[in-house]
Amino acid sequence: MKLSCIIVEDIQIAADFLRKFCEKSDLVEVKGHFMNVADALEFLDKEKVDLLFLDVEMPGANGFELLDSLTYSPMIVLTTSKTEYAFNAFQYHVNDYLKKPFTYKRFLEAIEKLQQQAAEAGPAQQTAATPNASPLPDNDFLFIKAEDKLIKLKKDDILFLESMRDYVKFVTPAKSYITYSTLKNMEEKLIGQTFLKVHRSYIVNINKIDDIRGNTIYVLGNQIPIGKGHKEDLETRLNIL
Amino acid sequence: MQKIHPAFVFDENLNASFLEELFEGDTIYAETVFEDFLKDLPVYWERVEAAYDERNLPTLGTSLHTCKTLFGYVGFTDLQELCQQFENKCAVNSVEELRVDYILLIQRKERAQHIIEKEYTRLRLFNEEKQ
Repeated sequence: MKLSCIIVEDIQIAADFLRKFCEKSDLVEVKGHFMNVADALEFLDKEKVDLLFLDVEMPGANGFELLDSLTYSPMIVLTTSKTEYAFNAFQYHVNDYLKKPFTYKRFLEAIEKLQQQAAEAGPAQQTAATPNASPLPDNDFLFIKAEDKLIKLKKDDILFLESMRDYVKFVTPAKSYITYSTLKNMEEKLIGQTFLKVHRSYIVNINKIDDIRGNTIYVLGNQIPIGKGHKEDLETRLNIL
Repeated sequence: MQKIHPAFVFDENLNASFLEELFEGDTIYAETVFEDFLKDLPVYWERVEAAYDERNLPTLGTSLHTCKTLFGYVGFTDLQELCQQFENKCAVNSVEELRVDYILLIQRKERAQHIIEKEYTRLRLFNEEKQ
């Protein structure tokens, strides 16, 4: 399985190395190289890719701001020479982190890991070109695998879903459940009348929103950030009088 | 990538084992990267100097961050570390406090540039001989 990718990197030598490694591996197809976040977002607005190689410190907006603005969830590999970003990387659920300069061996390890993750996540996760998985039948419930059993959840009980790297947390008023899946998978199955993706790491049940203050949604005492790229969509979906 | 010629050994000031792993014996590509480094570094370093002259420490840190990355691609891993330390100091020190470190950094950068110029010439000659 060949992954499509873009490189977002302001240092030409670093981008050239990455492109060379992608070509050598024959596992990744480079669709473009962008020196800044704005140009990358413009491209992603028109074409989706499976994977982003993303530098953090660039002129203008930084890599994390790009992640805030994304309207879908590609795999992300941060490429930076600063180890201090590791914590942010964890918070943003990036798939891997390559410290520049990195060797082909380290690059290949990252790609093989991504391919494994994509394969485990099932066909819906495999490539950006793959058609969306079938939505769930229009039931008012769903089953998730958690706590070594299949648990039935009423959709109306779900407050929101939070991505936890290779897991998704379902939050209900009574309890939270963690299941092995990706938010992208859930997004394809749940998004519709009631559920809306409001951030790279969150899908929220619109019916459960108590209020919105600035860029934060409040749901039964929980605070959910609104990603820049999702704000317009959210405003369209709300019945604002 | 081509196999490394056993006769070519990187300068002792560079992290040779890392460079061998990075280029995997492709001395033609190494020549290209060293050439690009010599073209790019003066452009990025101008930004460092301008930020220092303007006493703009956040920009100084960011500009040096770019140079730090470049040094890594030509095997100056020790200089990368020095840049990182200076970058960290930019966040907490004044321009006056950074002066001595800045002078040291300039000296190290000039020495590094000189070594890479020689290394680039060596690589070019080596590649010409191979062909």
